[in-house]
Amino acid sequence: MAASSISTPVPVAWYPTLAAVMVALGLMLAASFFIYEATSSRKSRSLAKEITTRAVASVFLGFGSLFVLLASGVYV
Amino acid sequence: MPPSRPTPIVLLLLFALTAVSSSPLPPEDGIRVVSAEKRIDLTGPIVKVFLTLKVENAPGASDASQVLLAFTPTEVEHLAILKATRAEGKRKKKAYVPLSVEASDLAATPNGARLYSVLLSTPLKPGEKTTIEVLYVLTHTLEPFPAEIGQSESQLVYFRDSAVLLSPYHCLEQVTYIKMPSNRIESFTRVDPTSRAGTELKYGIYSNQMPNTYLPILVHYENNRPFAVVEELARKVEISHWGNVQITEQYKLKHGGARHKGVFSRLEYQSRPSMSGMSSFKNLLARLPPRVHSVYYRDEIGNISSSHLRTDSHKSELEIEPRYPLFGGWHCTFTIGYGLPLQDFVFESDDGRRYINLTFGCPLLDTVVDDLTIKVVLPEGSKNPQPSVPFETEQHIEMSYSYLDVVGRTTVVLKKKNVVGEHNVPFQVHYEFNPIFMLAEPMMLISAVFLFFVACIAYLHMDLSIRKSL
Repeated sequence: MAASSISTPVPVAWYPTLAAVMVALGLMLAASFFIYEATSSRKSRSLAKEITTRAVASVFLGFGSLFVLLASGVYV
Repeated sequence: MPPSRPTPIVLLLLFALTAVSSSPLPPEDGIRVVSAEKRIDLTGPIVKVFLTLKVENAPGASDASQVLLAFTPTEVEHLAILKATRAEGKRKKKAYVPLSVEASDLAATPNGARLYSVLLSTPLKPGEKTTIEVLYVLTHTLEPFPAEIGQSESQLVYFRDSAVLLSPYHCLEQVTYIKMPSNRIESFTRVDPTSRAGTELKYGIYSNQMPNTYLPILVHYENNRPFAVVEELARKVEISHWGNVQITEQYKLKHGGARHKGVFSRLEYQSRPSMSGMSSFKNLLARLPPRVHSVYYRDEIGNISSSHLRTDSHKSELEIEPRYPLFGGWHCTFTIGYGLPLQDFVFESDDGRRYINLTFGCPLLDTVVDDLTIKVVLPEGSKNPQPSVPFETEQHIEMSYSYLDVVGRTTVVLKKKNVVGEHNVPFQVHYEFNPIFMLAEPMMLISAVFLFFVACIAYLHMDLSIRKSL
């Protein structure tokens, strides 16, 4: 009855590297978003650009923190 | 008393008388035991009995589909496991297992003896013979006598049994061998012919015993093997599809032998180890699966560093040393935890369901567990859990909550009492899991970060000044 063994979606050996890369990217995007907010004046802001930058940054930060958790041994 | 073989006519008469007199015998009363060999292994805290029965179905009787085994009420209380196999084939004997089912309401047996029936896979034809091998294990039957000993005394225990096999059938020939752990035997009941050879006692050969005969014997011998009894063991298995199976075990360990009385002198214990603390133990060995990582051993005070882990490609061995040696009646509590890779244990079966393959029982070698609870925590979003265990356990399902949980994780709880090393067999828990649920956890983290950014934007867009800014 035994068939194949289940493997994880991402190889376990990549967890620490992926965690570092994703958190770094996520922080860079979040930083660019905050810089945009700080340098532009109220009238010339475009909501669409803000939301896209924010969404992409949060995706990277979210995955990055998940991999940080997995790499440090908290298997959620 | 020299065994005399009665003539076949007398034998048949005796046999007919038995068949008539003990009236509500099962229909298989044509069975009789041609020869029985009982080997009792007392080299340890539990009693292991290997019984080889050669049974024959009398010509002229009906087909026999079961063979009955009888046990006294005390034996039934302490029976941990009962297994039977039957040798098949001529040269290379392949043994397989017929089921052993309790059938205690058949036959009026004297003194409340209970019957267990071994169901044969193919019925025994009249005139046919077969060999059945039975293994059973009794726990907590060795009684320490004296019940309290000092630090430098040896532990002596009583073992009670019968010289002849208690059986609902006629026994033509039987012998019992008892193996002791050491040469010191204080006393043993003599039921001729009895002989002793070093560490082995032989009771036999007895011929032509009537059904349901019981000749009690008492053996008083020295047993300094570690009497490790785990009173409660709670094992929790957490499965994470991100790559890890984490097992946490909580033990309440006790030395179940003769109680320690008087003072404990550490000086005497350490300076003369051969004369002091002979019945105590200070090490325990646990056998874990290979490729284990992150093993920890701690108790309520903190980490216990006196442990060794040796790994190889087939198994890992963890040798633990509690903070103090255990003498009779002393307790200790500790926790062992370890992680295992997912691909060794979780598989996908042909019908699309996943299952986890684990070993039941306690990883500590040579221990008896009085109360075992295993909790298998399945990942969030699993449905229809179904455990399949080769023996009887109490099962129920509950919910437990862990990291990043919304609905909770389905948990399968299995409980069993009186577990010994022979119960360490694999068991499976099947469940259905949709892989899309694995994304639920990163989605939760992403939405949390996104909400934080939305809050930032909202704050920056809001104008909280009292006067309109220019």
